[in-house]
Amino acid sequence: MAAFALRRLLEGLLVLLLVSAITFFLINLAPGGPSAAVSLEKTAAQREALYHQFGLDKPVPVRYLDWLGGVLRGDLGTSLNQGLPVSSLLEQRMWNTLQLALTTLVLTTLLGMGLGIAAALYKNRWPDHLISGVATLGMSIPGFWLGILAIIVFAVQLKLFPSSGIFSVGAEFSLLDRLRHLVLPAGVLAFTLMPNVVRVTRSALLEVMSSDYVRTARAKGVAERVVLLKHTLKNALVPVIAILGLITTVLFSGSVVIESVFGWAGLGRLAIEAANGRDYPVILGVTLVAGAVVVMVNFLVDLLYAAVDPRISHE
Amino acid sequence: MQLRWKFKPWLVLVLVGLLGGAAQAQDYDPNGSLTFATNADPTLNPWAPNAVVESNLINELIFEPLVRYNKKDLTPSPGLATSWKVAPDGLSWTFNLRKGVKWSDGKPFTADDVAFTYNNIALNKKLGATGGNLYAPLSKVEVIDPYTVRFVLNTPFSSLPYYLAYFTGILPKHILGDAENPLTLADFNKKNPVGTGPYKVAEFVSGSYVRLVKNDSYWGGPPKVASVVFKIVPDPNTQMAQLLGGELDMVTVTNPALLAGIERNPKLKLIRQNQNIYYFVALNQNDPRFKDVRVRQALLYAIDRKAIIDAVLKGYGEIATGPIAPLQKLFYRKDVPSYAFDPKKAQELLKQAGWVPGPDGVLTKDGKPLEIDMPTGQFGYLVPATLLVQQYWKAIGVKANVKVMEWNAYIQQMFVNRQYQATLAWWSTPPTPDVSPYYQSSSADKGQNIPNFKSAELDKLLEDGRKATSLRSQVLAYLQMQRFVAEQLPYLYLWYPDILTVRDDKIGGMVDLNQAVAFQYASEWFVKR
Repeated sequence: MAAFALRRLLEGLLVLLLVSAITFFLINLAPGGPSAAVSLEKTAAQREALYHQFGLDKPVPVRYLDWLGGVLRGDLGTSLNQGLPVSSLLEQRMWNTLQLALTTLVLTTLLGMGLGIAAALYKNRWPDHLISGVATLGMSIPGFWLGILAIIVFAVQLKLFPSSGIFSVGAEFSLLDRLRHLVLPAGVLAFTLMPNVVRVTRSALLEVMSSDYVRTARAKGVAERVVLLKHTLKNALVPVIAILGLITTVLFSGSVVIESVFGWAGLGRLAIEAANGRDYPVILGVTLVAGAVVVMVNFLVDLLYAAVDPRISHE
Repeated sequence: MQLRWKFKPWLVLVLVGLLGGAAQAQDYDPNGSLTFATNADPTLNPWAPNAVVESNLINELIFEPLVRYNKKDLTPSPGLATSWKVAPDGLSWTFNLRKGVKWSDGKPFTADDVAFTYNNIALNKKLGATGGNLYAPLSKVEVIDPYTVRFVLNTPFSSLPYYLAYFTGILPKHILGDAENPLTLADFNKKNPVGTGPYKVAEFVSGSYVRLVKNDSYWGGPPKVASVVFKIVPDPNTQMAQLLGGELDMVTVTNPALLAGIERNPKLKLIRQNQNIYYFVALNQNDPRFKDVRVRQALLYAIDRKAIIDAVLKGYGEIATGPIAPLQKLFYRKDVPSYAFDPKKAQELLKQAGWVPGPDGVLTKDGKPLEIDMPTGQFGYLVPATLLVQQYWKAIGVKANVKVMEWNAYIQQMFVNRQYQATLAWWSTPPTPDVSPYYQSSSADKGQNIPNFKSAELDKLLEDGRKATSLRSQVLAYLQMQRFVAEQLPYLYLWYPDILTVRDDKIGGMVDLNQAVAFQYASEWFVKR
């Protein structure tokens, strides 16, 4: 087990190194430059001065080694367009993304698995059709549109929830206030992510339900519900964990669209702003964080597989 | 006399009395708060290279310029300077500073701060300060006494006071004086800026909002609105939804299509404002085909600007005649060539210039077709407007190859590298008739002279305007300049767009003319009960 963890850790670091190198060279090959300098407001002389300040007058490989050296010393550099240390920006945004991601993950898991189980239970009857209808809807509606619709209905018309932000301006910390702000973005995100979980849960359950040991259980006269929840669910979990792992990586690296629509100051918005403004150190910082999340979640998913299915072992 | 503004204490007393009376009659909420939106994290330092459109209005509440714009006609009015005088040779300006002004940390504001802001920041080429390039004629600022400064110039600069009012807040020397780079201090720019303005920062939550509270020791008296919040809302649709839901009190609408629905809300009113903004097509003068003025004129005759304004701007705009927009009432001249839509005339002019229809209908000269590379960026309505221009040109046998690019890459290609033959863009300039940075030959290729238009005659006209020592000679010089550019078309002038602002009715005391001016007089705002 320890050997497995160590191997995965080393592999993970290698992946991060490769990802950072590829990102660094790609983003520098892309046309454009930091928006503080590349804008209609700046003349050639001003641009030159700023490129010098930013160290962008050095060759790309030298800059990569400089950056890598900084990272090894724990310094991710300074944002070119914001003037703040990248680490402080990441820390702030990561915490915000984490709140949204965890809430959405819980909602998605409960909703997705609940509906998936119900659909399997009532296979080919009206609840199944209704659920698969809702799932299809959630899958095909674009998130930004649903977000705006939710804002118009729940914030503008009904005035039930705030339309944007993470907490009320200038207010003391209050859990209720935070939850109220979470409802719309987390709800919309969960609605668009949940269909995958519903489908995978349903089909995995149905597959397991047609296996021999389930037939045996039924033959013993065990009630259908007990068969489903006790005998099949655990065995159907592996593909569900896989899809939840994928959703987790998407959520924890920040949902660009939903964060923009709901003014949620998370990693996704930071990434898109940095990319639009060619803020190289921030792009690399976000890439590193997102890469680390993927590596870590994959590791956890592998561990979970072993926990739910004894046939899988990492010894 | 616009160049000599004499401070008249009795006049100010009368005005203060009148305004005070008006505000009292207008019963306002002393705890009122206003919430606005900005599209990205601001930088709270007006000269920082990264402080542009997302920061400008916020910085106007925290920092103050020497000169403000007059609320009615944009002429220079007192700000931190109470009066000024230009030397007879036009080579120096003396400004008397307002006494009793305090920085928000309690230290007094003096001439040293003004000298620091201009000498060490605007003129320090290493910093790349936003707007620093506009002060090319300025040599240095001298401190005469704690409340008098002298701006010493290399060449006369009749529009200096206009420039001094354009997003150029004075910075505190006692805070930034020792910094290696006074424009990159994160604590100042993102948390604790120190200014003389009517508001100071209470809280800056990155990515979420900036909350300002009134500065009770403001020299103009305590502001009437207790706090002003700028929420960071990048999505224009969300901004509009928040305005309709009452979470925002004012929104600037970049896409007129979003206006649908506001008329159903009786609390919201639409204000059509003006700034010195004009859209244009630039024809790269490094391309010999566009050196012929007949070709430039023809390409403008071919465009139905009225139709584009109606279709793309939903009618919120006016056909442009030159770089000076109508809101500069003193200087704007309408009686210049205006190139009403006339495709026949366009074809005639091109024929005179030697362009004749080829076999496939595309005009050719010396066997080469009139094909034009026309990159455009994804921003606002640049893409649809460019596509319409392409269609109008196609109708007279000119083939424009439009390439739609991501914004930053477009700026790099078009502006930094000047790799384009034609492009549609806009300028938003200080409301002064002095347009030298965008037109003079020395700004071609590396400055803001986008079409790289080089003309000794235009340089001379611009210089005459800068040299003018009386309002009369200034108006005259710029009349000639407007005629020249309307005839020669360094840029093909398209339209002056209206700036559409939707405001909640509860806001009182806010200037309608435009936002840049409205925010210079924020201490007069109030929230109606």
